[in-house]
Formats: sequence, structure tokens, C-alpha cells
Amino acid sequence: METINDIVYYYSQNAAYVWEQFYRHFLMSAYGVLFAAIIAIPVGILIARYKKLSTWVISLANIIQTIPALAMLAVLMLVMGLGTNTVVFSLFLYSLLPIIKNTYTGIRNVDHALLESGKAMGMTKFQVLRMVELPMAMSVIMAGLRTALVITIGIATIGTFIGAGGLGDVILRGTNVTDGTPIILAGAIPTALMAVIADVVMGWLERKLSPIKKRKAGQLKEQAA
Amino acid sequence: MLKKRHLLIAITMALAIVMSGCSLPGLSGAADNTIKVGTMGTSESQIMGNIVRLMIEHYSDAKVEMVNNLGSSIVQHQAMMNGDIDISATRYTGTDLAGALAMDPVKDPEEALKIVKREFQKQFDQTWFDSYGFANSYAFTVTRELAEKENLNKVSDLEPLVSDLKLGVDNAWLKRKGDGYEGFVKEYGFEFGKTFPMQIGLVYQAAANGKMDVVLAYTTDGRIAAYDLKVLEDDQHFFPPYDTSAVTRNEVLKAHPELKDILQKLAGTISTEKMQELNYEADGEMKEPSIIAKQFLEEHDYFEDKK
Repeated sequence: METINDIVYYYSQNAAYVWEQFYRHFLMSAYGVLFAAIIAIPVGILIARYKKLSTWVISLANIIQTIPALAMLAVLMLVMGLGTNTVVFSLFLYSLLPIIKNTYTGIRNVDHALLESGKAMGMTKFQVLRMVELPMAMSVIMAGLRTALVITIGIATIGTFIGAGGLGDVILRGTNVTDGTPIILAGAIPTALMAVIADVVMGWLERKLSPIKKRKAGQLKEQAA
Repeated sequence: MLKKRHLLIAITMALAIVMSGCSLPGLSGAADNTIKVGTMGTSESQIMGNIVRLMIEHYSDAKVEMVNNLGSSIVQHQAMMNGDIDISATRYTGTDLAGALAMDPVKDPEEALKIVKREFQKQFDQTWFDSYGFANSYAFTVTRELAEKENLNKVSDLEPLVSDLKLGVDNAWLKRKGDGYEGFVKEYGFEFGKTFPMQIGLVYQAAANGKMDVVLAYTTDGRIAAYDLKVLEDDQHFFPPYDTSAVTRNEVLKAHPELKDILQKLAGTISTEKMQELNYEADGEMKEPSIIAKQFLEEHDYFEDKK
């Protein structure tokens, strides 16, 4: 009970600071996922076309994923130096696998009958991709982004060790002061909360973009088109 | 397979290097106009780092980025040499004489400051500023009660009582060569009745509870003020001075000529007692260093009236 009071007290003393770190933390994660999406979605589409490439690319992304976060940061730090960019880059690397894999799966799982009918209507390859494959795969791709974002929010915490700031700074300070339990919690709770909120929001987006629901709502329209 | 892996590594490296040069909106990156201030993990270092940051932001248009939680003075020094940080907020004369410069300890604080100023300029192309006004050294500390009862002000005052006194100290200090216990006995010529090695964080409470009569504390620790302890003056100058200053790379001073005056304004503004208070706000009252720094500067109007 006293700990809860202390946490409340801590927030009342440092609200501006915590908010700043919260924002910074979120931006680092979001940038990591954003850059990964720019690279990984095209790569996912590409390897869905050329199946031979897919084993290589996915196993490479798998290898990246197995590197412990602290080791990754330490190695990247040697190349890139201290600071935010190093953390964003490592978050980028961790986001690759879920996005590539989901894009690949999403595109591969599009019903062949739909692809054929697209072709039969005289669509070019690019039109098939834009008008059939991507819309059908969108919710699976979004699920990949969702996983990536939740992972990166967790990993961004250790960015504090290379001076990147974020909520990890709050947690680490808690370990440095005499009686730091409330401070540690005051940093850990928003981090967990951010991950949960990100998960819920992305899940909602994912359902919004799901083609199955769309078919129910706009079935007639789609058929008419 | 092997070629492909090489290609991947090459691409990753190239991306890494490109990215380390760009700056992201919302997160100030390594833009040219950004001054990076490095601090250690201690409250003291982070408070001073934020004071430096706020001062620069107050007096100039430069962007400032904090690089927090660097492990030690040596790590700070390496980060400065690599150009990862431009200013290190807290550097201690005694630590860097022994660490970065690998020289023998110097007892006189002014002499020590003169040497590090000269040598950092010469060896590392860095400018060492005048001290903020506080020193974070080891100090023998007693409760105010005992100090008043026995009229204790200096370490030498302990001599007549010493055989009955219990001394609580940092583990490492007892066995350390040079400025350790052995050196202390030689310098002051007396030994404590009993010594108890313990973790440094525990000594303050031990003294306050009366479990120990004398403890060896860090002079700027906020708990000295919080537990109403009294620091005894090191009258034989046994401990090397640990005056605290900011250090900057000369390159940055050239790019931002106004920095010199800004940092100079902070010289001599924070006494050891004031630093104790600020540290206590961080460790005891759970305020964040950036908030403490802001309050401190607002209280003093950012030292506007100082030349």
C-alpha cells in the first residue's frame, strides 16, 4: 500500500519528465517498426513470388531474432556509437522477422481462384498485387506489425544502457537510489501499459482491415463491382 | 551462401552508418547542431548534466541531447575521445588524475585542478572548466550529537577517543593501497578501536542509528544532511581532492563559442552542502534529476546576473 502511495507521489513530482520519456520510448519503438515495414513488406512480397529466396531470407531474419538484445546493442554501439539511432536501428532489426514472415504468409495464402479471376479480368501483375493480394493479406500483415511493435516496446527499455533515454531511464534510476522499488515500478508499469495499448489498438486496426468482415458488410457492393 | 552472408553484413553495416548520421523528427539524433552531454548513472552526475543542458538551452539556440548512464569516468572519457559526447557533466580531479592521466595523486586541490586543466588541453584537446564548487570525496563523518559532545571538527580531534570508537567503512577502502586505511594510519598516526567493513550505502544509516561511531562517507551524499551527520575536516589533506567540473571537447567550443561563457557561469555556484541537498531530493524524495535541475536554475534565475 505504501508503495502505491510512493508511486503516486513519484508521478506527481515528475509528471513532465515521465511523459517526456514515455513519448520518447514510444517514438523509438514506432520508428523501428516503421523503417522495418518499409523494408520488410516489399521483401515479404518478393519472397512470396520467388519461393527459393524465402528459406534464406526467413532463416536470416530468424538468426537476427535469436541474438540477445543486450548483445545486439553492444555490437551495434561499436559501429554506430551511443544514442537513440543505435537503439532505433536494433529495433528495426528485431521487427524484420515478424513483418517479413507475416507478409509472406499473407500473400501466399490468398486464394488461387481470386488470383486467377483477377488475371482473367485482364489485370496486370501489379494490379493483381494492389487490388487482390494486398487487400486480402492486409490483416495478416497488420498482425505482423502488431507483434513487432509489442516486441520493440519491450526491447526499447534497455536502450537506457547506451544513453538513449526512454522509460528504461526511470527503471535504471530506481535501481540506483536507496529505496527504489516505487521508481522501478513507476517506470515498468507505463512500459507494460504502452505494450498493452499498442496491442489493443493494432488489434483493432487488424480487424478493421480484415477482408472477411468487409465481405459481410459490403458484400453486395463488392459483387456489383 | 557465404557470399550472400557477406552481402548482408555489408548492407547492414552500410545502413547502420547511414542511420547513425541522420536525425529523426521527435528524437534529436546526431545532427550537427546537437550538443551531447554525457552523465554517469549517479544522481549527482545526472543533476549536473541536466543543469548544463538547461543552461545551454537557456542561453543559446543549440539543441542538447543527454547521454545518460555512462558507467564510469573512464567510459565518459572514451565517449569524449570517440566524439560520442561533447561535454561530460561531472569529472572529478582525483579520479581523472589517476584514471585518464595515469598520474600520481596530488594533495592540493588547486594544484590538481591546474594539472588536469593543462594535461587535458595538451593530451586530449579538451577543456576542463573551473569547479562547480563541490567535491565528492571520502570524509570521516559522525553524528552531530557526538560532534557537539566531544567538540569534534577535524579528523585529528578524534585522536584522544579513537580506541573506543567503531569505524564503519566501505569494503574496498580498508585494503586499498595509497589512500586506504593503511595510508590513513601512517598519515594521522592513530588507529580506530574496531573497523567494520560494509557496503557504502549502509554507512549513513549505521551512523544515524548509533551502530557505528564514525563512518567513512561520500561528501556529497544527501543522507549526510538527511540524517544530520557532521563531516569532519580532513586537516592533514590525506584524501586526494575530488573537485567536480565539466569537461568539453575543444571542437565543440569552436563550433559553439558561447558555450565557454555559459559553462563558466556555473563555476563556484554549488557548494558541497547544496549538492547534498540536491542529491537528497533525488535519492530521498524521489524527484527526477531533470526536475531538480530545473527548479535549482529557476531559483537562481539561471545565473543571469553573473557575468
